[in-house]
Amino acid sequence: MYGWRGRIGLLVPSINTTMETEFWRIAPEGVSVHSARISGGRHGTPEELRSMENASKVAARDVAMIEPDVVAYGCTSGSFFEGPEWNRKISEQLSEITRAPTVTTAGAMAACLIAGGHRKVDIVTPYVELTNERLKQFLRAHGIEVSRLGTFDMLDMFDHAKIQPEEIYQKVKETNSADTEAIFVACTQLRALEVVDMLERDIGKPVYSAVQATAWQAYAEMGVDPRITDCGSLLRKLSEPGALKQPAKRLRKSA
Amino acid sequence: MEEAKVHTGTRRIGLLVPSSNTTVEVEFYRALPRHISLHVARLHLTQITPEAILGMVADLEAQSRNLASADVDVIVLGATAPSFLKGLGYDREIAQRVTAATGKPATTTSTALIEAIRHLKLKRIALGSAYDDKVNGIARAFLEANGLTVVAAQGLGLVENLVVGRLEDATAYELAKKVDRAEAEGIVLACTNWKTMGVIERLERELGKPAVSTTQVSIWAALRVLGERQGIPGYGKLLREIGAPAHERQIA
Repeated sequence: MYGWRGRIGLLVPSINTTMETEFWRIAPEGVSVHSARISGGRHGTPEELRSMENASKVAARDVAMIEPDVVAYGCTSGSFFEGPEWNRKISEQLSEITRAPTVTTAGAMAACLIAGGHRKVDIVTPYVELTNERLKQFLRAHGIEVSRLGTFDMLDMFDHAKIQPEEIYQKVKETNSADTEAIFVACTQLRALEVVDMLERDIGKPVYSAVQATAWQAYAEMGVDPRITDCGSLLRKLSEPGALKQPAKRLRKSA
Repeated sequence: MEEAKVHTGTRRIGLLVPSSNTTVEVEFYRALPRHISLHVARLHLTQITPEAILGMVADLEAQSRNLASADVDVIVLGATAPSFLKGLGYDREIAQRVTAATGKPATTTSTALIEAIRHLKLKRIALGSAYDDKVNGIARAFLEANGLTVVAAQGLGLVENLVVGRLEDATAYELAKKVDRAEAEGIVLACTNWKTMGVIERLERELGKPAVSTTQVSIWAALRVLGERQGIPGYGKLLREIGAPAHERQIA
């Protein structure tokens, strides 16, 4: 069976064109990615972001059929918008439906910043002001302060993928402030994975992206080291001793 | 949007996958060139039985709209039995429903299969599938209704879709060898959840005739809608020669 080492059930907002591509790009031998789409609109309005919670359950039901080893809910704002409790609820609901551990992008964002010991970070987003405020609140609830926030200020989520990697690179450099320990680029529709590694080398501090953080947590949950060496320090950490969980033996699988 | 696409050169294929299929996404990703990205939506399916399949197709419009919201350039129903189940013309009816719901060009695996067989100018084929006798019989009837002669047909007898996904591709190789007949001009391997892409090249070399699989033809048909002319090596004559000008003229 494909994905004999690990099968990732990937839930993406229906409009997303970036995350599947980036997940496949880093999938090593024996790991497969199986997507399902979360129905919804392209404008990241509060109503749309809130509606993703219910729509994700339908997508989870369908991706459950491939018996995933981990499920990734791939939307940053769709997991932080209503706060940490909401994010936890989404994660628990999806695990119940899929019978697999679930990671969410907002959860992975907080986890990677906490794991890095970062208390003060800069953030780059494509979001409008309200969503940016909610992001800051979410991080604050995890004990993380946002120093500077650089934004592309676009409501249309589909259009976020039109922002070119070099524009993201520039925005991160502009946003980088002297007193922060790391930078996080939010939104799984932004093509940040292509530039995180060069950004870390050029500015000398950890740079994380939404897709990268989600992948990091998903691979750790699966207990698979993908040996990704060119997508930032976070994914390289998966090769360090103790980075991977050792999941309990799968009961429902034959091979 | 067009501007952005020209800038990046990226084209997008939208693939509708039966929810329990663990194979077709993987085989698409492996074969597609880097400038084409794949986006997937799932249709609920557990068993390869007529009843289950008809239920799955009820999701068609909603999931097609999910793919259209990612502005894909073509939508492919990457499922064989669901696109031939009701016989001649059913595949095109499904493609039309997808286009009506989304405004996007659409095709299905069964449509692609017939087009590919005609493109290769095959009249007499041998059929190997993962299906049980009932669904295999429907597959055979679909091919015959489209004017083909099926000189031999055999299925592996499977109904549980997840079980099909667990088969090694050696099962496709062995069944192809078994159903091949001297009078068959080509081999057809049916079921997109069955690993076939890894054995096509070897089968063609050893049997000395084209081998088409339902995953291979689905990729081929999607690429043709996108106007791709760059051949893809390693998966048989059909994909290797996708840009051959003589073929384009022959089918026009």
